[in-house]
Amino acid sequence: MPTHGVKLLQAWMTDPEPQSPAEYSEDGVDLTLIRWMLSLTPAERLQFLQRQVNAILAIRRLNAGQ
Amino acid sequence: MPDSDFLAALRALREGGVEFAVVGGLAAVLNGAPVSTFDLDIVPARDEHNVARLLRVLDSIDAVYRIQPLRRLKPAASHLSSPGHHNLITSCGPLDVLGTIGGGLTYEDLLPHTIELEAGSGVRVRVLTLEKIVALKEELAGEKDLAVLPVLRRTLEQKQRGSG
Repeated sequence: MPTHGVKLLQAWMTDPEPQSPAEYSEDGVDLTLIRWMLSLTPAERLQFLQRQVNAILAIRRLNAGQ
Repeated sequence: MPDSDFLAALRALREGGVEFAVVGGLAAVLNGAPVSTFDLDIVPARDEHNVARLLRVLDSIDAVYRIQPLRRLKPAASHLSSPGHHNLITSCGPLDVLGTIGGGLTYEDLLPHTIELEAGSGVRVRVLTLEKIVALKEELAGEKDLAVLPVLRRTLEQKQRGSG
């Protein structure tokens, strides 16, 4: 007769985290990133994009001519 | 290229009384899609009065055509009244003024497919819905559109499931 620990392990192996949403869609899209973006307000989303764009432009300037 | 300032460009357009809708990558980001873009795409109303207001704002943010920035070619009312695309560089960064998008859709056509969102600091703008962005990209089906479609579709699904 399996112990309580073995039963728990068997249950986890059958269905590791039944409550946990998928991290990636079937076509490989990172759903955690989407959920994070959706947790922000539109203004926060714009701020995040702005920082990203300006950081990339700064890197481009530092490497101009290379 | 100077740093871009999307919010400053949007504020200038709003304060100048320009009727427009934000489309493209920035509209996708405002709707919650984790994509990146370097330019602001807008579709303005092309009636005489709105074009005049748009020209005043474009002048105030030093807009010239990007294709030959050194020639400093400024857009004129006749250009902005056309259904064509005007790829500009401004003191707020790249700005694309699109007379129409998709299969010739005007500002008035797009209006029912927009929502008003706050972009920050009290600046409220009309933004194309994610549903319409996905539909337009599916219709256009260019390489660039197809590349971003999976992320847009999944974002739409997650939104519809109530994540955001």
